[in-house]
Amino acid sequence: MNRVRTFITQENWSPYAAGIMLGIVGMLTVLLANALLGASGAFESLVGWIGKNISPSLFSNVYWGEIGGRALPIMRPEITWSVVLLVGVVFGGTVGALTSRTFKFRFNDDVQWKRIFGPQPWKRWVIGFFGAILLEYAAGIAGGCTSGLAISGGMLLAPAAFLFIGGMFASGIITALIVYRRRY
Amino acid sequence: MTNYILALILGSAFGFSLNKVGLTKYHKVVNQFRFTDMSVLKFMMTALCVAMTGLYIFRALGWVTFPTVPATYIVGNLLGGLLFGVGMALTGY
Repeated sequence: MNRVRTFITQENWSPYAAGIMLGIVGMLTVLLANALLGASGAFESLVGWIGKNISPSLFSNVYWGEIGGRALPIMRPEITWSVVLLVGVVFGGTVGALTSRTFKFRFNDDVQWKRIFGPQPWKRWVIGFFGAILLEYAAGIAGGCTSGLAISGGMLLAPAAFLFIGGMFASGIITALIVYRRRY
Repeated sequence: MTNYILALILGSAFGFSLNKVGLTKYHKVVNQFRFTDMSVLKFMMTALCVAMTGLYIFRALGWVTFPTVPATYIVGNLLGGLLFGVGMALTGY
């Protein structure tokens, strides 16, 4: 029992152990709910749902599945499965940080980030803001993000997942090369 | 309703594993692209192997029918992946 406790309260698990856990979660998702572990579509659904309640006419367009269009089932403007999943992800992440006693409100305390971009928090926020827009936009083009497309699609052997992983690593490495230059 | 409870439980386990492997930290994600810390790849590929093996065994036993997989449209998937990598390496999300 004590050993289980020390294992859970560790801050960094072996990636293999955490990977086995995620694999089982992914398996159960398909088995019990017949769904995928999509996360990026949840933001679109949530925005669509809020927008529909505020201004129905503005949000009644093809993208949200109106006027002859057909929205992807993961992006319907309502509280979908992935929105609830996202709430769970935030909750689970918090629990994970609490068990290892590393829960803290952080603004910019990643040592490596500070070394590369400088210590000012506003830089982190600006790059984070625009980088996240890029991430969500790219996920919209590709039809999923790392979790929904690369992992969930990959475990069902969807060709799209492997194309996405290839593209992600190619440009990720190039971006890291440009950002880090001689420190790569 | 059951579906939502299931989503909460599975989502929590997903978030827990992400936190434990350190994918919530900038340096873990970016160091994968610099190949100085291979946790992201180890994590993703282990998850893929476990889930693939399990799911294909379950399908062979007839316990599960697969949901519709994400659509394949080569240019879109590749372009999305290329843009996604830029965002990922910049922000570490």
